[in-house]
This record gives sequence, C-alpha cells and structure tokens, in this order.
Amino acid sequence: MAETNFDVQGFARDINQLLVLTTLREEAKHGYQIAVDIETESNGLFCFRHGTLYPILHRLEQGGFIRGSWSKGEGRRKKVYALTPAGRRHLNGETGRVQEIVSRLMELLPSLAEAST
Amino acid sequence: MSERVERAFLSTLQAVERQLPSPVSKRIDLLRELEADLEALSSGLESQGVPLEEARQRAVEALVPDPGVLRELARLHRPAYVRFTQGLERERLRILERSALGLTTAATVLAGAVGLSQADLLRDPSPFLVPVLALGAVLVGLVLMKGFQLWVKADHRQPDVGVRAILLLSGTILMTAFLGLFLDLFQLTRRLEAAPQLSSELVTRWIVQDAGLLSVALTLALLGGLSWFVLNHWQTLIWSRHRELLELPRAPANKPTP
Repeated sequence: MAETNFDVQGFARDINQLLVLTTLREEAKHGYQIAVDIETESNGLFCFRHGTLYPILHRLEQGGFIRGSWSKGEGRRKKVYALTPAGRRHLNGETGRVQEIVSRLMELLPSLAEAST
Repeated sequence: MSERVERAFLSTLQAVERQLPSPVSKRIDLLRELEADLEALSSGLESQGVPLEEARQRAVEALVPDPGVLRELARLHRPAYVRFTQGLERERLRILERSALGLTTAATVLAGAVGLSQADLLRDPSPFLVPVLALGAVLVGLVLMKGFQLWVKADHRQPDVGVRAILLLSGTILMTAFLGLFLDLFQLTRRLEAAPQLSSELVTRWIVQDAGLLSVALTLALLGGLSWFVLNHWQTLIWSRHRELLELPRAPANKPTP
C-alpha cells in the first residue's frame, strides 16, 4: 500500500463518499433519496443523520465527481445529483483501495485475536 | 407540492439560515435543497403510513444539519478569496486589502489621466475639471470597493452601504460640471465685455474647455450610474429571492433583511 500513515478519519469520510457515489451508479437521485437508498441497501448499517449527507454531496460536487442540477418533478423543484465520468473513475479506483485496506485489516484481526488469547 | 408542507418547514429553514454564515446566494441554494428534501422525505414517510407530525419530525431529524455540520458546510462554501487569505491575520489582511484597493484605484485614475492628457479637448482644461476628476477618483474607488466586497469577498453583511453613495457621487460630478460650465460662461461674458475684439478666440477657448469638462463629467456619471444600476439590480434580485424563500417581510426603503 502506498500510504505509510493510515488516516482513520479520512478513511471514514472516504467510505461515506464511496457510498454516495455507489448509489448514484445507475441513476441520478436527489439528496434524501440517496440517504434512504444507502440505508436500505446496507440494511440500516450506514445511515446519515442531522444533515451529514449535505457536506458529503457538496464536497463531491466541488470535486467534480457528481453534478447537481435542479429538476422539476411533481410540482416542486429538487436538486438531483448524477455521477460524472470523473466520479465513475474515482469510484472504481477507490473501491480497489478500500478492498485492499479491508483485506489487510482482516488479515491483521485474527493474528491480533490470537495474540490476545 | 402544497403550501401546507412548505410552511411546515419554514421556521426550520429560518433557524438554519441564522446559523449559516455563507454568502447569501449559497445560503439560498442550500435552503432550497434542504426544503425540497424535507418535503419529499416527509411526504414519502406519510405515504408509508407515518402520521403527519411524526413524518415531519423524522424528516427534520434526518436532514436538518446540526451546528457542527452547518459549520462544515459554511467552510466548504467559503469564497475562493476567503480560502486563499485564511492564513493571514485579520488586521494584516485589512491593510493589504486597503493597499490593493488604493493601488488599483490609483492605477485606474492614472490610466484615465493619461488617456485624457492625450485627448485634444483637454489641452486647455477648465479649472472645474480638477474637482470633477477628484470626485471621479472617489467614485472609481467606491465602485471597486463595493464590487470587491460583494463579488470577490462575498461579504453580504452590509450590502447596501455605499451603493447609494455611488449614485450621489455621479450626480455631484454632473452638478459640478454644470456649475463649472455656467461659471466659465459668466467669466467669458465679463472678458468679452472687457475685450470685445478677442471674442472669437475667447469663445473658441470656452467651447473647447467646457466641452472637455462636460465630456469627462458625463462619462464618469454614466459609468457611476451604470455601476449603481448593476449593484442595485443584483441586490434587489438576490434579496428578493432570500425574502421569498424565507417569507420575510419586505424591509422598509427596500433594505435587505440580514
């Protein structure tokens, strides 16, 4: 792995961003739908509360990974987010990185468990 | 969507707005997004059989940012200028801003003066051109300052301060020029009385002097008026969107509600 110092807080933020990007793979969605879908697809493991979704969405938008646009459906205008090509590339790259981190963690956990017994 | 739902979240939006120190345009966008999501989520919950009040409460809990998240949002939406200068001490930044403003104004005035000195009409200027140019320099400085404050720094705390002064200065420039024109004319008549044989030369000189004076004054007043119009129109537009979104009462004398 390239990193020598693993940033736990940064990793948690990256996971949140990946969750948002993942749920936008198939279609564009508005804010609360993204939150609901993530919660449903993860069986309630990942849920956004107290508006924590918005900084993630806006950071991704500023980074060019998603594009927000206002759409009018069923009367009221909603801000809908769609994955950009850069976002798709980022998602593919980051998925591999997360898999590597998790697999290394999984390798580490049994040895730690053995050491403690 | 119904007015009923929109009004249900109005006080929530107003409370969020008070805690969000972002530029007004960003605030409006964020509050609109939040309102649409609140409404959609509570409607969705209602359609699943959740009672109305509970649906609204759950939507607020899920979507309304807490103070920490609002601070993060405000940090995310800082103008590029604020991000760039965040490492500087406030006092030092103030001095730098004023120096930059002074230099830009001086450079603009200098460029204008060079242009004027090359124009034939200003070869023999009216003495009233000096106050007109001095007022013009103040006008240029004020327009640059206001534009910098509103659009570069995105500081919307006192948006209307100085905007009317731009219009006032433009009017003062015009009045000074017309006053100069009449006083020059008065002087001309006295000289003509004293030396009628020089009438052709004196009249020609007066025409050249005051045509230059009026040209400069009209140009400055026009630029000032145009700047005032753009600034005023932008403010009216953005603050009316803000008032409309939060259903705020229209402030007296068209003054925005901060």
